Amino acid sequence: MSALGAAKPAAGGAIDPVSSVVGLVLAVIFIGIVFVLAPAALFPLLGIILGGVLIGFGVHFVPVGGAPAAMGQAPGIATGVAMLAAGAGLAGLFGGAWAAELGVVVATVTGAIGGGLMMAVTCLMVNVIYVFGMGIPAASGKVTKDPLTGDTQAEYKSQGTEGHGLPFISFVGGVVGGLFGGGGGTLIYLMLLQVYEQYLPVIFNAKVEEIMPVAVSLAGIFAIGLFLVNAVLAAYNITGTIEGPHDPKFKRFPRAIVASLVASALCGLVAILIVVVNLNI
Amino acid sequence: MVENIVFGIGITALAGALAAVAGAAEDTESDIGSQGDPNSQVQLAPQMGFIHRIFNKAVAGEPPAYGLWCALGAGLAWIFLIKDINPILALILGATIATFVQGVYATSGYLGRTASLAKFGQPVYIDILKSMLSVTMAHAFVAIFTTVAMCYLMNAVLGHPFPLPILGLIWGIALGAAGSATGNPFYGKERQYQNQKFGAGVPISASGNIVRYAEAGQRNSLDNGWFSAKLGGPASGICFGLIVFLELWRTILFEHIAAGWGAIIVGLAVILVFVVIDRWVEVYARKNYGPYTVAEEASS
Repeated sequence: MSALGAAKPAAGGAIDPVSSVVGLVLAVIFIGIVFVLAPAALFPLLGIILGGVLIGFGVHFVPVGGAPAAMGQAPGIATGVAMLAAGAGLAGLFGGAWAAELGVVVATVTGAIGGGLMMAVTCLMVNVIYVFGMGIPAASGKVTKDPLTGDTQAEYKSQGTEGHGLPFISFVGGVVGGLFGGGGGTLIYLMLLQVYEQYLPVIFNAKVEEIMPVAVSLAGIFAIGLFLVNAVLAAYNITGTIEGPHDPKFKRFPRAIVASLVASALCGLVAILIVVVNLNI
Repeated sequence: MVENIVFGIGITALAGALAAVAGAAEDTESDIGSQGDPNSQVQLAPQMGFIHRIFNKAVAGEPPAYGLWCALGAGLAWIFLIKDINPILALILGATIATFVQGVYATSGYLGRTASLAKFGQPVYIDILKSMLSVTMAHAFVAIFTTVAMCYLMNAVLGHPFPLPILGLIWGIALGAAGSATGNPFYGKERQYQNQKFGAGVPISASGNIVRYAEAGQRNSLDNGWFSAKLGGPASGICFGLIVFLELWRTILFEHIAAGWGAIIVGLAVILVFVVIDRWVEVYARKNYGPYTVAEEASS
């Protein structure tokens, strides 16, 4: 019994210290490998890790109701956590990649705004459908008052449900989640592009302009992959549905940050080694 | 310079229009196939003793499914373009082949999912498979073709650095996310649970008791597509169309101002406008519909 108890994963928002330390040690090892094999890629790897952490953190803001939301049984957007976050983040990546020539800061902020804009439109249309299509007001099932507007929630919740639609705090959470996701995804793309622009010309013995299509494609597909890894990790941390930053599940985010950090370090290492190892051979 | 901007705005409007059609077709297709979250009720109903003739083809959520189909359509179109085939023909061929892949998934999805319900007495209706499949494929073709055409405009005309297949993947996932977010509640609550009270969520105790009968005979997914096409589909179209149009519009018109900060400020301003509209919608509902007579306590 005690052995089973010891093997249990950390409940709620608690961080399991042993696994976290093991994870952080692994992350340091991954960073160390890049430092030894390709010192020039060290800062890009740190940027990739930061981008991954931003995505993992941002997903916790996105109000996702899953299947119950599709029946007006729970608040949030009626789709999966990882997929909605991916939709917003990748829309941001689209804008950020377009602005890559304008520098890291401008491109990252452009990507963040792209993700936020996608979520703002989507969240608005969710409420429009609920209010004008189905005659249902927004109501949270997790708090008695909206933390931003102070609107009471309980009396607007229909009988036998956990709430429905997107209360204002959930709408804002969705936009903030889109901002983090779009910015994080774009940062990963920019960092990988920097690495590929540096190493690919040497591998192919070609000019930077000639390898750009390959560099952009590789960085783009790895950025999408890293985005999905971090979004899915956060979705596992959330387990099902979340209303937004006011949801008690939001407090679990430190665990997701550790997981995103380790996963991004490993994925970033692989994405960098693809060009570095070839060079050494 | 001015000509370039005018040209860019024209392409932006065209891409936005294509996206609007894509969103509407995507949501209607997914509702006919019960692809999105309301699928859980279609799957649950026989287990609760409610045998139905609703098509049930979900093999994945809408975003990954459309990510696959649009990336496939865009990738094939890209290959045809490299082979110097006329762009319009290349886009049509790419979308057509991707649609056949969708058809294969829909067939295996329906047969597999429905066969798994055999122990609850749910039959596999071959006539349902034959009549629904072509309709979902037709809607899928519209959604995939318009999305791939939009991606082609972004890449070839507006000069986005991503190659066509990556753009197809990105916008396919975004299309599925926008369509499922906007359209699912309308299909899930308003159509599947038409027997429940209007203006309230479906009580959890009613789960699985979906409407199975139409004006004449048993309801099937074509009836559901007809219903969704009236509001859920167009709303999804507006959602995805706005996302694409505003993203392109702010970039084309304002990116050259203040070294890129112009597009950022305009994007932020647009977000704030949507925040204000959303708050207005929320307050409108609270004022005009009022509270429910029986107040429920917060669950935590």
